[in-house]
Amino acid sequence: MSLITPTRHKGSQKGGARRAENNKIYAHPLPLVFSAPEPHSKFGHVLGLFGPNTRLENPHCEGIFDPATRSVWVTNEKDSMILWRRGFFGKGNLSRSEPSWLARQINARKAAGKYMTSEEIREKRRAERKQFKMDRAAAIAKAAAEAEAAFAEGREAGPAFIPSGATWKPQPSSELSLPSEPLEDQSMDVAEELEPLEDVEHLQLTLQEAFFLIWNLDCLTVLDPHTHEPMSLRETWQTFQDVHCIPPGLPVYAHRFDNPFLVNYAAYHYYRSLGWVVKGGIKFCVDLLLYKRGPVFHHAEFAIVVIPVYEDPADKESSPFNLPNADTFSWSWLSTINRVNAQVQKTLILTYVTIPAQSRVSADLLSSPACLAHYSVRDVVLRRFIPARMRD
Amino acid sequence: MDDNLELPTATPKPEASQDREEEEQSSGDEDQGPDWTKIPGLNVARPVIPKRGEKDFEPTAQGGSGLQRHVLDRSRSAMLEALKATRTISHKSVSHAIWYPQLKRAHVTVARGIHFSTMGHSVARASAESEGAKKVQKRLELLPEEALYLVERGAMYCWEPTDLPLHHTVHLDDMEGVPMSVQQAYAEMIGADELTLERYEVYAYLRRLGYVVTRTKPPSPEYPVPPPFPSVTRASASIVNRLLNTVTSFLSQFVRIFTGGRDWWRPICFSRWLHYNMSNKSLFKSLRFLPSGYDVPLHVQRAPEAPSTPYQIFYNLYKPSTPFKKTAPPLPDFSVVIVNARTTPMPTIAELTDLFGELPELPPPAPRKRMSFAQQKQASASAPQSKQTAPQGPAIQPWSFRRSLAWIWPLPQTNENAKSPARPTNPFPSLKTGKKMVVVAAVDAGTISFFRFGQGVFTEWPMA
Repeated sequence: MSLITPTRHKGSQKGGARRAENNKIYAHPLPLVFSAPEPHSKFGHVLGLFGPNTRLENPHCEGIFDPATRSVWVTNEKDSMILWRRGFFGKGNLSRSEPSWLARQINARKAAGKYMTSEEIREKRRAERKQFKMDRAAAIAKAAAEAEAAFAEGREAGPAFIPSGATWKPQPSSELSLPSEPLEDQSMDVAEELEPLEDVEHLQLTLQEAFFLIWNLDCLTVLDPHTHEPMSLRETWQTFQDVHCIPPGLPVYAHRFDNPFLVNYAAYHYYRSLGWVVKGGIKFCVDLLLYKRGPVFHHAEFAIVVIPVYEDPADKESSPFNLPNADTFSWSWLSTINRVNAQVQKTLILTYVTIPAQSRVSADLLSSPACLAHYSVRDVVLRRFIPARMRD
Repeated sequence: MDDNLELPTATPKPEASQDREEEEQSSGDEDQGPDWTKIPGLNVARPVIPKRGEKDFEPTAQGGSGLQRHVLDRSRSAMLEALKATRTISHKSVSHAIWYPQLKRAHVTVARGIHFSTMGHSVARASAESEGAKKVQKRLELLPEEALYLVERGAMYCWEPTDLPLHHTVHLDDMEGVPMSVQQAYAEMIGADELTLERYEVYAYLRRLGYVVTRTKPPSPEYPVPPPFPSVTRASASIVNRLLNTVTSFLSQFVRIFTGGRDWWRPICFSRWLHYNMSNKSLFKSLRFLPSGYDVPLHVQRAPEAPSTPYQIFYNLYKPSTPFKKTAPPLPDFSVVIVNARTTPMPTIAELTDLFGELPELPPPAPRKRMSFAQQKQASASAPQSKQTAPQGPAIQPWSFRRSLAWIWPLPQTNENAKSPARPTNPFPSLKTGKKMVVVAAVDAGTISFFRFGQGVFTEWPMA
């Protein structure tokens, strides 16, 4: 089956086995794991209902704060796997999503990977799609030329066969058109027989993801980049906000509720607390994407645009930050985003985050996360209304 | 063969209803132009009109091959022929009305055709008699947009009262006025009684599709209005529900007192002995401590001297299948706001909240019943009879808290639930439609884009 059509079969052996495996690997929605040891007696079972048996496992991961990229790097491979597998936090910096660079290099060496990583699947799919388009264009040109010839002679042209996504099969010869990986292999083989492979990839967490893990679940420790000392929660809170204040220390940045970190954190926390897996949405012109269980299970259902709303217009005038989407969109831009997401079957959600007015809420609250209680998050679902279709 | 010559009608063709959700957002047929070969307008003997074919991707490299040029010419001439034909209407089926510029209404003197079952309203006006005694008579009057729509369609002649001496013409000797041309009708009626060109365009577009369109705010006291929306009635909380509510809130407060109030540096605490936050479900529940949703007050300051917002519901929309009675209109199916896309920006959250405040809550969408093929055939055969019973089907389901307690206290089983008791309700249809819906029509120099803004219900359907 070619990769260019999304697979619709639901009951195949391969799909079922992979799904069962995914269910096992990605069984925990958060890095904290609750384990209830099996009760051995009926009495123990009764006690188990009241819970003293449930244990909490905290993986205590470690990461380094990087101000240049405004992210937290987790270089320890075990920690990055835990964070990815339990909740889909972060993104490998050399990969599409899961840190799979090492696996890809090993596959490339062996040149016979049993399970292709997602990057390899993507490359294969793109190559097949390119081939399909070339075949289709050639078939269309041929049919047009034949119709032209038939018209010139005054007769009807015969039916032409134009391959569609469902009928096209990848030719074995099209393997040659794949990018020059075989060539690379040979050169790399020679070089790497000497060097063992070292994993140079790290998992990158956004500031919002990192703060969520530190503050709520207490399962991540962030190290200072210069001293490599663990940062306290107060230091982290202050640093994550200061990273948006460039150059640092200017008085205009003090006591601002509209720090981009705070606004984005309010939206991130809202969706995470409802159980959704939240990832970045730059690919679809939006801010966030919501997955029901995770990217490996199903495509994202919702695309979120975070719109900050100032309670006091004077705050907006005096703001040193240029918050994106703070000015109302034009209808053409809204239509654009809606159309892009409708093409990929995602529903667009506008999430309004209200920023408290400095006249109403004291700025002292900014010293602790208590200020987050004054932001409020509302969502609005945006869809097209087609009167011709909604008649019945 | 004769399908091509059928008159276009407003009744929808029966369609298979699967996969509607995905198609709703795609542009599809509606954005393609009219099929010129299917419009009846040719009075002369019909030439062979070719069927609509596949569009070629691009012209051939040699530039306009013979076949391509031939096909193009054929389609173009079909379009021009269809446009050239004169539109006619029999004088027995045309209506007549008189336009009164001071009243901004058209008084219908001769009403023919089916239009008036959904258009116009009756107004009592005093008519001065020659003897001086005034008689109050009820007469049919049309709003400017209704009159203009009928004139543009060619179904009505509009007259203007005049003092000039009139000749008597055949068939028209009882008209007292001079006929208005379509251009004059446009000039007079656009601008009358809050009718802008954008509003008229939306009105005409929706009417042409078959909807019934009425104004939400009555422009005069005699204009019939639908009954007010039912106020939001939460599912009646039974004694047990309220008891459980108080017990859980008491427990959470107790724990909070025990742990000394919410510590903002450690908002989530785990207590193994009290079994507090010891499962994923309860952990996610305690994570939801930040304010969210529409119940939280919105503190956005509004400038008191700001001009009134253009975001007000203007039209009530009724689907063609809804039984509509002019004197007692039912509750509208959709509420439409019309804005000019070039001058008015997107609605702010304050404006949206105001709009949502006026609208009723929609019932959650009925789950799609999975039927076997035999059952589907049977259902489609008996569909026309069961259309009336369908609107009463999905009862208002009790919302989140009551449903989350269903594992202790099972919900009363309705007929639909009895068939599939083990299947949990799918949250996605409800998440994608939202709780309340307003339709905003953004008109950009003639092109109308409709958007549905729905109030999100994410807080009521947590994923964990």
